[in-house]
Amino acid sequence: MTTINALVLTGYGLNCDMETAHALRLAGATPHRVHINKLVSREVRLSDYKILVFGGGFSWGDDHGAGVVHAVRFKTHIGEDLLRFIDEGNLVLAICNGFQTLVNLGLLPGIGGDYTTRSVALTYNDCGNFRDDWVTLRLNPDSPCVFTRGMDMIELPVRHGEGKFYTDPGILDKLVANQQVVAQYADRNGKPAGGRFPLNPNGSLLDIAGICDETGRVFGLMPHPEAFNHVTNHPDWTLKKEMMKREGRALEDGPTGGIRMFMNAVEYLKK
Amino acid sequence: MAHRLEITLKQELPDAEGEGVRQKAANYFGIAVDRIRTIHVVTIDADLKRQQLTSVQEEVFTNPVTQRSSYDPLDEPFDWNIWVGFRPGVRDNPGATAVEAIEDVLGVHLKPGEAVYTSKRYCVTGEGLTEADMDRIAGGLLANDIIQQWRITPKGSWDPKEGIGIIIPKVRLDHTPTVTTLSVVSDEKLKTLSDERNLALSANDIPVIRAYFTNPENRRCREPVGLSEPTDVELEYISQARSDHCNHNTFRGKFIYRDPAAGEEVVEDNLFKTYIQAPTLALKEQKDWVVSVLWDNAGVGRFDEDHYYVITGETHNSPSNMEAYGGAITGIVGVYRDPLGTGKGSKLIMGSYGYCVGPRDYDGPLKPRLHPRRLLDGVIEGVRDGGNKSGIPTPYGQVTFHPGYMGKCLVFVTALGLMPATVQGLPCEEKTTSPGDLVIMSGGRVGKDGIHGVTASSEVFSANTPAGHVQIGDPYTQKKMHDFLLEARDQGMIQFVTDNGGGGLSSSVGESALLSGGCEIELEKVPLKYAGLDQWEIWISESQERMTIAVRPEDLDRFMALSKLHAVESTVIGRYTDSGKLHIKYDGKTCAFVDLDLLESGFPQWQFEAEWCAPEERGLREPVMKAPGDYNALLRDLLARPNICAKNWVVRQYDHEVQGGSVLKPLVGEGRDIPGDAAVIRPVLTSNRGLAFSQALLPFYSAIDAYHMTACTIDEAVRRLIAVGADPSEIGGVDNFCWPSIQYDPETNPDGKFKAAQLVRSCRALRDMCMAYEIPLLSGKDSMYVDGHLTGRYGESHKVSALETIQFSATSIVPDVRGCVSMDLKVPGDLVYVLGLTRSELGASEYYEHLGYIGTRVPRVDMEASKKLYGALSGAISKGLVASAHGVYRGGLGVHLAMIAMGGGFGLDVDLAALPSEGVARNDTLLFSESAGRFIVSIDPKHRQAFEECMAGTAFGRIGTVSEKGGRLTVRGLKSGDPLMDLPVSVLKEAWMAPLGELI
Repeated sequence: MTTINALVLTGYGLNCDMETAHALRLAGATPHRVHINKLVSREVRLSDYKILVFGGGFSWGDDHGAGVVHAVRFKTHIGEDLLRFIDEGNLVLAICNGFQTLVNLGLLPGIGGDYTTRSVALTYNDCGNFRDDWVTLRLNPDSPCVFTRGMDMIELPVRHGEGKFYTDPGILDKLVANQQVVAQYADRNGKPAGGRFPLNPNGSLLDIAGICDETGRVFGLMPHPEAFNHVTNHPDWTLKKEMMKREGRALEDGPTGGIRMFMNAVEYLKK
Repeated sequence: MAHRLEITLKQELPDAEGEGVRQKAANYFGIAVDRIRTIHVVTIDADLKRQQLTSVQEEVFTNPVTQRSSYDPLDEPFDWNIWVGFRPGVRDNPGATAVEAIEDVLGVHLKPGEAVYTSKRYCVTGEGLTEADMDRIAGGLLANDIIQQWRITPKGSWDPKEGIGIIIPKVRLDHTPTVTTLSVVSDEKLKTLSDERNLALSANDIPVIRAYFTNPENRRCREPVGLSEPTDVELEYISQARSDHCNHNTFRGKFIYRDPAAGEEVVEDNLFKTYIQAPTLALKEQKDWVVSVLWDNAGVGRFDEDHYYVITGETHNSPSNMEAYGGAITGIVGVYRDPLGTGKGSKLIMGSYGYCVGPRDYDGPLKPRLHPRRLLDGVIEGVRDGGNKSGIPTPYGQVTFHPGYMGKCLVFVTALGLMPATVQGLPCEEKTTSPGDLVIMSGGRVGKDGIHGVTASSEVFSANTPAGHVQIGDPYTQKKMHDFLLEARDQGMIQFVTDNGGGGLSSSVGESALLSGGCEIELEKVPLKYAGLDQWEIWISESQERMTIAVRPEDLDRFMALSKLHAVESTVIGRYTDSGKLHIKYDGKTCAFVDLDLLESGFPQWQFEAEWCAPEERGLREPVMKAPGDYNALLRDLLARPNICAKNWVVRQYDHEVQGGSVLKPLVGEGRDIPGDAAVIRPVLTSNRGLAFSQALLPFYSAIDAYHMTACTIDEAVRRLIAVGADPSEIGGVDNFCWPSIQYDPETNPDGKFKAAQLVRSCRALRDMCMAYEIPLLSGKDSMYVDGHLTGRYGESHKVSALETIQFSATSIVPDVRGCVSMDLKVPGDLVYVLGLTRSELGASEYYEHLGYIGTRVPRVDMEASKKLYGALSGAISKGLVASAHGVYRGGLGVHLAMIAMGGGFGLDVDLAALPSEGVARNDTLLFSESAGRFIVSIDPKHRQAFEECMAGTAFGRIGTVSEKGGRLTVRGLKSGDPLMDLPVSVLKEAWMAPLGELI
């Protein structure tokens, strides 16, 4: 069977790299945690990988806008390779700080294949604070996003202070028209949050939690799929366990929603 | 030439920060402001060309979608402008990352002395606002004069061209580093010098120090290196090593303990040895899971065959009391260096917090430096940034309000790490230094930070004197160092590692050199933040984010290459020897040359008089009162009390999911909003094995007897672990003592003897509980002098002392996390049991406090019965018989029945007549007594027989059943009939949420 090499970035205040690598392994990929400087020095080459993950964390302390300095360093030193990487049909997943980095790189939304213009932003939460909470996302079945294929809803944790999706109305319309809006905050039944806090934890326009480029191969989201890698990560698992017991069943141990996102990526690349 | 860039959000975007300040101004000070917009100011003190400035403005500092910016003052309208910036020498984290970004984008390197400084402008608009209002907002909300400066400008006198002008808080010392020798002609002379220089040498130590430096043999040894009388570097080294912080003189002291009433008089020689070391070593013999205790930066226990967990707890009280944010972030980031510096190094896997502050709504006459409400906000934010930016989950914490903490707040920070059992075939928990190993300092640079700690705060500030004695931790720099050191460890390059905390290099190098038997340090090699530090300052500076590492010469090149890859600064500052000497040079000239064993050379033990006085002799009595009638109102009011009510806004600011191993979260239940009993994490993602963690704080009981305060605190921490399904046979503990001064003085500390007796009794309880519950103490710390002097209404000052406080942390293994249980009721019709006896123990309870009483009947732990019960319950949980389990803690049964009902969103119907109790004839006592050793458990009716068999031989009673979703809490009293208490669970939740539930 073919090995799918995945590169998970580390260094400069990034974290989440261990659990992201773990999630990729559970999904059948072969993850490698690689320090940003090894890409800069060309000691490691993007061309040896099929999936690139910009994971969560506080790159450069997020001091001048989350992901900004990370984006600048990438653009300055690895910009060309990155564009080639996408051009060659590979996948890019950007989670939380990674999503913030990609919008600052201009890699998202990538409207009309323009991967260098900053046209959307992830700015300070309306609630005015960093917030850790689980959210429900409704996923767009008509989006080209390869990571969410066959999924209509998912629950994941958000952990950020700058996750409010913001852009001008023109861009917003384009994103909707192009089906680039992949994930939106919703209530527990999948009804749109309609901006209501805490269902929509940050005040994102149109409850947007994640978008993809027009190819569906570049995906960024604020919630953390890698943090839902085990049945016991879910906030209601002890209740679910008890209900199953009453039906004489055990807690199911199949792939979690978070892992299914990574599995979708692997399956796409195997085809 | 310096350049000032101003950045702000576009008009159409809400300014959450400004809005937050506006609301606080209204809520805290009643100052009505229409609008506040913030402007971020980046002052680039570097020689850059126009197009370079434009490119960093566009590429780095301005988001084209959300922000606008200009090198001229922005035209943001205001009636008043408040500018806030750092004082010189205060850590400016955004300024440092700005330099990195500029150098990266432009491909240049800033010249020495060039730098970037960040500050803020607040544009305030509103009718009839005065300069006094602005000063209140600036000094009371936006800035702390210890680390920050501010300027207030009215619209009228604003120069739209110059704006705030160019302000550069650069440190200029213009001082040539000098070593001074101090005279030891007489004890008096040395004492005077010690006082002049804030050396804080204890009077009893001075003769010993003099004896060493006047000893002819020593003098002869020192001649060849050009030394005679002691240098300031040497005396500072001794002063650091002898300080209570480093040497724990109080716990190693001699206590003459008297209990006149009982006619008892004993000498307690060394509390540490008797009550902490001895029991722990005894238990280590019996428990093979205890890997390493009592010597390293943190204790080590076995997680599984291939992994060990590491734990320690610290406090950072005095700095947080002065500068809440800076003190707290420095505290959490600092404690995270302890596991990193344990054995050959550990990965950080979680942290926790405990805050003890004055009443949040205090409006009395006393004037603390920071109002408790503002202090708490700052502390919460400091630990938030320190933990979140380190990528370490914070799944557990607690907040306690009490007037005693107005004098000095308590900030407890606890850290857990994980290490592989072996690194390249060698035990990871072991480390040592050998002659020839290089002494390397990694991480941050050295400035005047933390020198002589708090004493420096009385200094007068000039425009360019560093205000570094209050520090601001830098999680970003430390996270890079953390990743680097763990990789170096795995490649076998680390022989020894420890952190630079209290005492700086003086402690880290001094202690590590004891292993090899000596060291030779070249002090001029130590990288500095700014020039002009004296040698002794470099040696004892407590600048943060630094580790000291021993590396073999043959590994140096690989070590430095890896350091460079991770963008971490590492410097060889000397080498370890076996000369027996601490030898420090500066530019080749010796400035310290002393025997390392000097510190063992018979320094006298500290002595304390301890006199116990029983509660009754202190005038405490049980109150004379009849049982209440309106229990519904009483329970609602108790749920709304500060120490009981919801504090979810604190919890949600902390990332408790990072690292992907969250199993039981800080908030549980259907609404995900009720505090759970303990946190459970899965630190090894490929395994189902878990680590449970809990903490408890019950200082209130010290008002009666610190023995029972300590016993109940430990019992609560243990019960919290048992409730979630942790293994009772592998519990490890961490003790953190915070005590008011115990040194008797008729004028300044008249009750010192009593507080000393409380400490002795607390230590006795610690030993008794650890032996009874078989808890080795994996780590522990003490912080004395929790007293403050507050100015009152007439300018008089009052000494305010904290209650004698211990925070106890407990960890244990969970064999399979899928067996864990949460506290929320799960299914209607389930049977509800109370386990453990309820006694007439309302002394210092939340109920009595609510009614203005203390009483005398403090809860007492029945160690034997409890241990048996905990074993039985954990058996039932591991058999899968338990649907929910929750301990009965502060507030008693009434409060905690409400908690599990709110957790599940179900009603609950219980009968107090079925409650297992002893000598209680009153309903209020049954409902609000805080007797230890109790749980409330719910089970599937079909498990009734199996569960009761498990619990056989313990005190338990089936008190009722779970009723329908959204139901009522109904409590029937003794001599049944109408329910005592009967109200919708939703009403209880409203009451519990009302005081602080709306905060975000």
